[in-house]
Amino acid sequence: MNQYLEFFRTQRQRIDGNSHPVLNAHREAAAAAFERLGFPSQKVERYKYTDVATAFAPNYGISLSGTTDSLRKTESPDNPLALSHYGTLADVDADAITALNTMLVQEVSIIHIPAGIHRENPIQVTHTLHSTAPLMQNRRLLIVAEAGAHVQVLLNERADEGQDFLTTQVTEVFVGEGAHVEIYDIESTHERCHRFHQLFADVAAGGRFTHATFTLSGGLTRNQTDVRLSGEGAEVNLLGCAITDGQQHVDNNTLIDHRAPGCRSRELYKYVVDQQSTGAFAGRVLVRQEAQRTDSEERNANLVCTDEARMWTQPMLEIYADDVKCSHGSTVGQLNDDALFYLRQRGISEAEARTLLKQAFASEVINEIPLEALRQRLHAMVEKRFRSCEDCRLCKKG
Amino acid sequence: MLEIKNLHATVGGKEILKGVDLVVKSGEIHALMGQNGAGKSTLSNVLVGHPAYTVTEGTVTFNGKDLLAMTPDERSHEGLFLSFQQPVEIPGVSMVNFMRAALNAKRKYQGLEPLDASAFLKLMREKRKIVELDNKLTSRSVNEGFSGGEKKRNEIFQMALLEPTLSILDETDSGLDVDALRIVAEGFNKLRTPQTAAIVITHYQRLLDYLKPDVVHVLIDGRIVKTGGPELALEIEQRGFDWIKEEA
Repeated sequence: MNQYLEFFRTQRQRIDGNSHPVLNAHREAAAAAFERLGFPSQKVERYKYTDVATAFAPNYGISLSGTTDSLRKTESPDNPLALSHYGTLADVDADAITALNTMLVQEVSIIHIPAGIHRENPIQVTHTLHSTAPLMQNRRLLIVAEAGAHVQVLLNERADEGQDFLTTQVTEVFVGEGAHVEIYDIESTHERCHRFHQLFADVAAGGRFTHATFTLSGGLTRNQTDVRLSGEGAEVNLLGCAITDGQQHVDNNTLIDHRAPGCRSRELYKYVVDQQSTGAFAGRVLVRQEAQRTDSEERNANLVCTDEARMWTQPMLEIYADDVKCSHGSTVGQLNDDALFYLRQRGISEAEARTLLKQAFASEVINEIPLEALRQRLHAMVEKRFRSCEDCRLCKKG
Repeated sequence: MLEIKNLHATVGGKEILKGVDLVVKSGEIHALMGQNGAGKSTLSNVLVGHPAYTVTEGTVTFNGKDLLAMTPDERSHEGLFLSFQQPVEIPGVSMVNFMRAALNAKRKYQGLEPLDASAFLKLMREKRKIVELDNKLTSRSVNEGFSGGEKKRNEIFQMALLEPTLSILDETDSGLDVDALRIVAEGFNKLRTPQTAAIVITHYQRLLDYLKPDVVHVLIDGRIVKTGGPELALEIEQRGFDWIKEEA
């Protein structure tokens, strides 16, 4: 922890010099919060499945000069309205990784959709981690969809092979009244990547927010997704699919906060956990007293493929209103033996039958996506992932 | 084609088959009858290599090869097909992908090139007609949401695509109404050739009226205790199994 504070204090001038004043204005408070909080131990409820301190212990390089422009004008030019939202959802006092990110971040990607504008095509943001030495990258994404605006965002994360990477990303999403925001986040990195993503979203009345995260490959992944339904009739759909093997670890931690009446939430996370890998899902749905007529469904289903693989699942439902319709559940199991045998009787080899059934399991999440082209791409990516798993680099090593 | 000698098998440690002997020749249809628990389904599961069943004694030769030494998929490639009593629903696996994977696995085993997508779809269209299977069903997930009759028609459809030499029909007539039974049975009959054979497990004469077995066997307590011609099935229909038990 000290190495990050020391880096911040000694390099402050260079960090500030390459960054936008709005980012700089948040650093001091973030540093104070980070110093006070420290890295969360596994005794902290929301971090109990992931060892944060060990992930942040090695010395990573941080690029200070690579940034040419601290505001990536992804969608609209230097934008005081969008920037005024910066740091208002991501609370540095509540979370050490958010604080660390806010302390060090040097650029923010802004997607701002003015009122009533419907983006026809999805906006794609691809991050490729590229370095000749161990690298830490701190990223920030700010999405502001004003009333009635529609936008779809595709995030791709990739990494050069054979290098250690550590990334933090804080995403703030403001879904205005009647606005629709969809984010599809695909991670295809490798076993030497450590990723800590925090997403905070606020959905106003009649707004709709969809967030899907696909962890196709990686090393250590922790995605935290906190959604506030703050206006009447707001909706959220959280989707997740994780495919893990080797020593991989994937932890999805979600909070859906029903703060207003008549809101709807749906949540579906599926994991296929193979070899010695570990998966964790903790999803808390909070229905406050004022959130009458809440309609909420939460489901986590997991396939655990070996005796060494581990899956922790913790769906949580906390209800303070009396007129609600809520359900939550989770399952952990193996492939269906009857289905496996049926396929084999028809001449499909055991390995192929397992691949088909794993793909089928994951496809339920993919089929929730309304974008046909993205669905097809994900089906293909998942198929490729499972096929290479049988003789992948991790198995070949052993 | 198939020669079973002194076959003993257990499931969950319990001996179900206690010395089955059976010879099936090309072109023949054998009916296998018997009360619930006699071992009919166990015999079919053992033949196709279901992992829950353990063979403790005996041999099975299929076209001169040791059937029991083969994996379930090899047995399928060699021409063995089971029409399941209760076909399983497999959400997320499309009928098209399933049958194309199955057919191309068999073609690979036979040293043939895989069928491309358009040739396969053309073949599917042809074979669908045999059991009047709706296009909507073959574009769904395997058996998902199929009615009982549709599931059984789907079994015969898969049989039509894979062209097995020996088919085992395990209570294919159960849960079928008169029309569905006719479609399934007529579909099966269209697939018969002098080179194919079948073992038909059933409780009822109804299916045998269509399939016209050459030989009828009665299985009691894990052994074939009586073998006869088609008239034996008619006699069982009238008199039940008790008289055979007493004879045995």
